[in-house]
This record gives sequence, structure tokens and C-alpha cells, in this order.
Amino acid sequence: MYVFEGVWIALQQVWAHKLKSAFTLVGVTIGITFLIAVITVVEGMNRYVQDDFAGSLFGVNTFTVVRRSRISTGSETEERRRRQARNPHLTLRDVEVVRSAVPDAWRFAYNDDRGFDEVTYKDRRRRNIRLIGGSDGYETLQGWKIEDGRGLTPLDERRSLKVAVIGADIAEKLFTDVSPVGKQIRLGAHRFDVVGVWERQGGLLGVIRDASVLVPFSVYRQTFARNPSYVGEISVKMHSLEEMTAAQITVEGAMRTDRELRPGEENNFWIQTSSELLETWEKISRILFAAVPGLVSISLVVGGIVIMNIMLLSVAGRIREIGIRKAVGARRRDILIQFLAESSTLSIIGAAIGILLGIGIAMVVERFTVMPASVPPWAIATGLTLGLVVGVGSGLYPAYRAAKQDPIVALRSE
Amino acid sequence: MQTNDNEIIIQTHDLKKLYQMGSETIYALAGVDMKIRRNEYIAIMGPSGSGKSTLMNLIGCLDTPTEGEYILNGKPVQGLDDDELARIRNREIGFVFQTFNLLPRASALHNVELPLIYAGVPSRERQKRARNALARVDLADRTHHKPNELSGGQRQRVAIARALVNDPSILLADEPTGNLDSKTSAEIMSVFDELHATGQTIIVVTHEPHIVKHAHRVVTLRDGLIESHNARADGLLAGV
Repeated sequence: MYVFEGVWIALQQVWAHKLKSAFTLVGVTIGITFLIAVITVVEGMNRYVQDDFAGSLFGVNTFTVVRRSRISTGSETEERRRRQARNPHLTLRDVEVVRSAVPDAWRFAYNDDRGFDEVTYKDRRRRNIRLIGGSDGYETLQGWKIEDGRGLTPLDERRSLKVAVIGADIAEKLFTDVSPVGKQIRLGAHRFDVVGVWERQGGLLGVIRDASVLVPFSVYRQTFARNPSYVGEISVKMHSLEEMTAAQITVEGAMRTDRELRPGEENNFWIQTSSELLETWEKISRILFAAVPGLVSISLVVGGIVIMNIMLLSVAGRIREIGIRKAVGARRRDILIQFLAESSTLSIIGAAIGILLGIGIAMVVERFTVMPASVPPWAIATGLTLGLVVGVGSGLYPAYRAAKQDPIVALRSE
Repeated sequence: MQTNDNEIIIQTHDLKKLYQMGSETIYALAGVDMKIRRNEYIAIMGPSGSGKSTLMNLIGCLDTPTEGEYILNGKPVQGLDDDELARIRNREIGFVFQTFNLLPRASALHNVELPLIYAGVPSRERQKRARNALARVDLADRTHHKPNELSGGQRQRVAIARALVNDPSILLADEPTGNLDSKTSAEIMSVFDELHATGQTIIVVTHEPHIVKHAHRVVTLRDGLIESHNARADGLLAGV
């Protein structure tokens, strides 16, 4: 009963003093906003990284030989980074080394890529695309599925045919109501026949696939490569994790032998796997989650102190009201509960605003960046619970002061 | 309403209230013996400092005596703790104050509901009883007005409705017309008269002679002691 009374009084006060209330609640609101925003984005990223990203970027049971690590784990030393920068480029010779090291690979492919200014069809253009030169089997290894037309074949590669497979974004931009297949697009001075279009990927990875043009590697190296003998990545896909691990070791050994590295000397190439990416992400999200409680509790403590002060002021200004309530029969605990309900309501309103703002931020992030966001129900529950805890915690002392008022003195106060 | 007019509702024996001021002990009440029967209408008078307020606080269970006995409705009150006193104030006492003491932000109805809230009466019944109480003081059409939207007389009638809503054993009024003009005062006193006519026991603390005329018995205090028990001159009711 008095709980409703307290809640009702709190709501009236918030409504009557909107500006003051905004200042009162800002601490709790900021804390909870931050909590929800971080949880939402990290959860979204988590889900994304685990469900899609790692699997589709690198593929399951796949490893890739590259010149140097593309993922910064944050734990590398500056010196190691500099040494990696001196690694020699991968070449077609390395392709053959890897290929002969794992003759039983399920899939094998190599590729190179670069950013490209624009691709045009008649007077239409799509800017800032990714141009990939891939060996046949590259699409299959990546798991990119064809929606229209066909993918690249060994014949395209062998004959260096000027054919291209394009991403969904490019297809949409260049061809509104005709099928792209069979049409001729221009990449700089060169004309290519579109032979296929990939399924749209969307999301974060869509940036890579949906805005890409794939041409045979032989064409790429002759036409676009900075150096015709360079290869960007050599990818090997195996049937199982055990096979992959074994193949990785074999490839590492073969590369070292071919490059005549001495025992103890560091690899002058890098082998990248999806688990490496997952580990990196886990490290990042662990750091984020470790930082959250600290930052959130600082702001909640500040918010709680503000609420406590407001409640003390509120109690001081309502001594007479307390006297009246006691005169008509309110017990100590009734007054206590009333003021606790009031402080909790304030705090929960702050938390609720924080939750809404946090979700808002997450939605903005999802809308305007490629980062996915998802609001887990437990985050909302945590936010509200924290609001209640802060409310009760900050209300205890003021409510106790209110409850122990002597009714005679209280009735006489102005 | 009970009809047994002879039932003693308040009985005090050697009631004392002491305050320690430094090394000096001040007797706010120095030993008061009184009996009040059901449906009596009593005025307590006396100059300031005579112990009027202290006696009223004790009778109203806002305070406990230092010494002596106070039996309210057959139950001893001295030595009870805060919460037990609160319960008695809630069930047995209806306060009417000089300054009305209404909650400024609450409607008339909510103000009247207040004692019922603390008595744990469910919402629907609470509203019904509060409306009835407001109707008894002719404010049935002002239930949703806030105190600042009401005249002084109307505010005091809201306060009376609040005092009545829990059917208290006694209505305890402290200078109930002190903040009202004479016309409104007369109006409020006639409300008291009507309540008394329906069986309500009323104690009014006042120093205004025209109020005293409404009472049937006048208790005059001086220096913490009862100076006189006077039945009214026309002798409607015998003194104790």
C-alpha cells in the first residue's frame, strides 16, 4: 500500500520537477546506458563473430598462408611487427610448395586482391570495390554461392579469359532490370564478361563479398597486379580440425625448408586460422566485459549519491508530512517503505531511461555501422535490478532519517 | 455508535511528564487525574505553558508519560513502543489541528483515505469510506480538490473527515478554529455539535471562550495540574 504511495509520490515529483529530476537521474541513466550499449554491441559482435564471421571469412577447418598477420592481436611486440613487415612476398613458387605439401587437401586455392576505383557498365558505376584475382576453387573454398550464372572454372584460368563474377551490391548498382550475366563491364581500361553473380551476404562481411569482383588469377596478375609474381593468400581447407592442424604443421615445415630457414629462426610468413581470429575476438570482448563493471559501478555509485542527496533534501522538506502521516497512524516501517519506494522509483526510472538510450545507441550503431547489435533480455533485467539496488541503497539512510522522526516535533515543523 | 454513554473511554491516574532542562526538572504535567466518558464533549483550557499541549499529546498517543497511568478504551497505553502507539493513533484517535495539516499535494479524498491506508483497508472500500466521511462534512462535491483549491473552512472539514474516517474512539481537536474567521469557526463548531449528536466523543483544546460554550465540561489546567473540572453552567452533563 505504502509502496504504491511512495511510487506515486516519486512519479509526481519527477513530473513536477522535470529538470531537477533529469539531473537527479543522470548518473544512474549514464551508468545503465553504458552497460546496455556495451553489452548489446559486444553480444551482437559475439554472436556475429561466432556464427558467421570466423566461419565464412576463413571457413571451417581452413588455414591461410599470408605474408604477415592481418589481425592485430594487441599482444605482438612492435619489433615483431617490424620483422613481419620485412617478410618476403608470397609467390607462385610458394603456391606450388604448399600444394605439393598437402596433396590430400580437400580444397586448395590462392588469390590476391586490391582495392579498385570503380567498375562501370554503360553509364552506370559502382565506386570503391574490391578486385580479387582468384584461382579456380577460390569461391568454393570461401563458400561463396552463385545465385545467377556460373563461377570461375579451370578453363577460365588456363586460357586467361576476361570473365568476372560480381557481388550482389555491384549487380544491383549496375544492372537494375536486366540480368548481369553475359553483359560486359569495364574495370579501368579492360572489358570483362560477367559470367555470374553471388548470393547476397549482407552484414559485416557483405562489405567484402557483396562489393567484390572476381577475375581469374592469371588475368589479374597480368592486368592488375603490382607485381605479376606476387600472391596474396594461399588457402587450404581440410575435412576436419585434426587434419587441418596436421596439414598446417606440414605446410609450415615445407615453407621453412623451401625458404631455407635455420632451426630457431622465426617464420618469415604467417599462417592464419579462424581460431586465431576467434581468440583475438574473445580477448577483446573479455577486456570490454572486464571494464564494464568498473565503469558502470562508478557511475552508479555517483548516481546513488545524487539520489541520496535529493532524498535527504526531500525528507528535510517533508518533515511535516511525515508528522501528519505518523499522527494518522503510519508506523516507522510504513514511512521507511514509502521513502525507499520513492528512491527506488527514481532510480528505476533512471535505469529505464538508460535501458532505452542504450538500446537506442545499439540500434544507431547497427543502422549506421556494419556492427551488429542484439539486446539480450538478461541485460535489461540486469539494468532494472541494478536500478532497484541503487534505489534501495541510496534511499536507506534518508528513509531511516524520515522514519525515526518524532511525530510531535515533526508536526510542529514548518 | 455505542449507546453505553457511561462507559469510561479515557482514564488517567497521576499522569506526569517531565523534561530535563540542564540540571532542572520541568514538570509539563505534574500529576493529572481525569476520566472521560463516551460521547462526552470536553474542552481543555489553560494559559500557554499550562500543559495543555502535553496533555493533548499524551491523550493522542503522540507521546508517552514519564509516570502515571493512561487507560484508553480499557487498555493501558503507558510503556507502549512507537509502532503500538501508531496503531492506537490510527484506530482510536482522530486528530484535528489548528493548521489543518493536510498533505498539500494530495486530493481531499486521498487525504481522508490516509488513515485507512495505514490501517490496511483495501482500495475500493477505502474510497467508499472516505467518500462517506467527506459527505458527512458536506464536501461530497470536493473530493478531487487539492487543499490549496479549498477555503480554510473546507480544509478543516477535510481534516475532520480524515479524523472520522476510521471511526475513532475520540476526536481530538487542537485549537480547531484558531486559523479561521468567526463565521467559519461557527460553521466548524456546528460540525462538531452534529458529530457529538451522533455519539462521537470530542475533546477540544482551546483558549477561546465561545468554543468552550459548545462543550459540556471544561477542564482547566494551570502549571501542569488540573485547576478545575467545571460542568457547563447550564449543567447539561454532570462532571466527574
